[in-house]
Amino acid sequence: MKKTGFSLPGLLALLIWTLAGCQFTQSPFALAVSSAGAEFAAAATTLSYVHSGKITAQYARASFVNYRSQLDGLDQQLPSQQGAPGKTTMNHLLALYKVAIRAVDQPCLAVSCNWQAQVAALNRASQAFLKVGGS
Amino acid sequence: MKKVFAIALGIVTAIGGFLDAGTVATSGEAGAKYGFGLIWAVILATIEIILLVEMVGRFTAVSQKTYADAIREKFGFKFYLFPLASELIAESLLLAAELGGVAIALSLLTGISWHYLFPVAALLVLVLVWSASFDIIENGPALLGLVTLSFLVGVILLGPPKLTLLQTLWKPPVQQGQFADYLYLVAAILGATISPYLLYFYSSGAIEEHWSGKSLLLNRVTAIAGMGFGSIGSLALLILSAIVLRPLNMQAGTLGEIGLAMAKPLGILGSYLFAVALFSTCLGAALEVILAVSYNVAQGFGWEWGQNQNPVQTARYYTFMIVFLLVAVIIGLLGIDPLQLALFASTVIALFLPISLSPFLFIMNDPAYLKDKTNGWFDNTAIILILLIAFAVAIVSIPLEIITGGG
Repeated sequence: MKKTGFSLPGLLALLIWTLAGCQFTQSPFALAVSSAGAEFAAAATTLSYVHSGKITAQYARASFVNYRSQLDGLDQQLPSQQGAPGKTTMNHLLALYKVAIRAVDQPCLAVSCNWQAQVAALNRASQAFLKVGGS
Repeated sequence: MKKVFAIALGIVTAIGGFLDAGTVATSGEAGAKYGFGLIWAVILATIEIILLVEMVGRFTAVSQKTYADAIREKFGFKFYLFPLASELIAESLLLAAELGGVAIALSLLTGISWHYLFPVAALLVLVLVWSASFDIIENGPALLGLVTLSFLVGVILLGPPKLTLLQTLWKPPVQQGQFADYLYLVAAILGATISPYLLYFYSSGAIEEHWSGKSLLLNRVTAIAGMGFGSIGSLALLILSAIVLRPLNMQAGTLGEIGLAMAKPLGILGSYLFAVALFSTCLGAALEVILAVSYNVAQGFGWEWGQNQNPVQTARYYTFMIVFLLVAVIIGLLGIDPLQLALFASTVIALFLPISLSPFLFIMNDPAYLKDKTNGWFDNTAIILILLIAFAVAIVSIPLEIITGGG
């Protein structure tokens, strides 16, 4: 039987190359920071909602477990991602990450602690990450 | 009166059972990322599932054979192994996601980490599939799933959307570099809505409930009204996410944050309603997936099967059920976030859709099975269009999975 030269892996590789090459997709770094920025925004909203009585502390606690698993170890991965920015921008992001992840690890769900400061840190990180990610 | 009750119950359970972890994940993410820009995909998928469910129900009611039976009979055992293998791979991932969804829902209600609650969810599913009758499995979670209609209440309470958001309906906000992600979500929405397990479950359920040629009206009404209204929950969730989550820069990357969209208009009650809706829809879907795959395997290998039978008489059917559940539990225990797993499972289902759906075109036109109830030109055109869409989605789903890193 005559070979056509057509193969499924070849077709998939061509599709990936075409989609990736035509600016159809973001770089792995941009994807990672956008998604982290969105998670920080979700964490900030969750914290605000629990203190304004829109959700229970149990709901918030369960949500933060998931935010943590989405964001943990990001500081290790980001610098080596394809499409990573220069050192200054990276250091700025990592500094914001460091403060924000502390709020994600130990969210202030009681009234007695300074939850507003945590919300502010999370929002700052969210906006910076989303800006760098191009969202 | 009995007939009216059966039709009403059929509609109600179809509405309550429409959503699952996949549809919740895709609707939430679609709304948060692209506003109303993917409503068309939900509507398209709904029309497709209505047509497919009507056909598979008609087929079973008239021929007294299940869809799996017909594939094996008409195309032979070797061919049957292709859709079976694709089902086993895709649905084991989906079952793990559904169990994760049940665990997350319990976690949102109790505050306990979902990782600890995952085995509880698996145990609950095991007890139900082992001891409950078909009617309880089909109707119980689905009736509880009517809570999803509260999503519509949430949308109404939020009031009309802003004009800029309304414009995303015909002009999706796809920025440079996001097109692959947008297409990935289209594939995931189609895979989540047109899950072939639904067809195997519906077909086997028609046998369990002793449908006959007289059940065609019940079948048609259940398919059109049940699935049609069922998609309201999916659309409402997408709209809620678009109105509430998108302006807050959230992307609905976890199941819990999708519930925040309900907390805005309804407060704590909204968050409870979301958790209960997630629990019931994922529990119902987990039960349906496990039954559908077990039915499929038992029918293919010629074993005794049936949820209303004694486990002793259907030992191989029940044994397979437990093994399949165990596989899903192992996948779930890897700790992958249930929302990410649901999105991945939906894309894998999209990849396999052509294998599961291709036999429709031949079986539904065979008078040996359907007598004078074979497909007309409209149904055949619809199947060809559905298959073309399924092929296109299958071709792009894996490259998109690689490019976008799974949404």
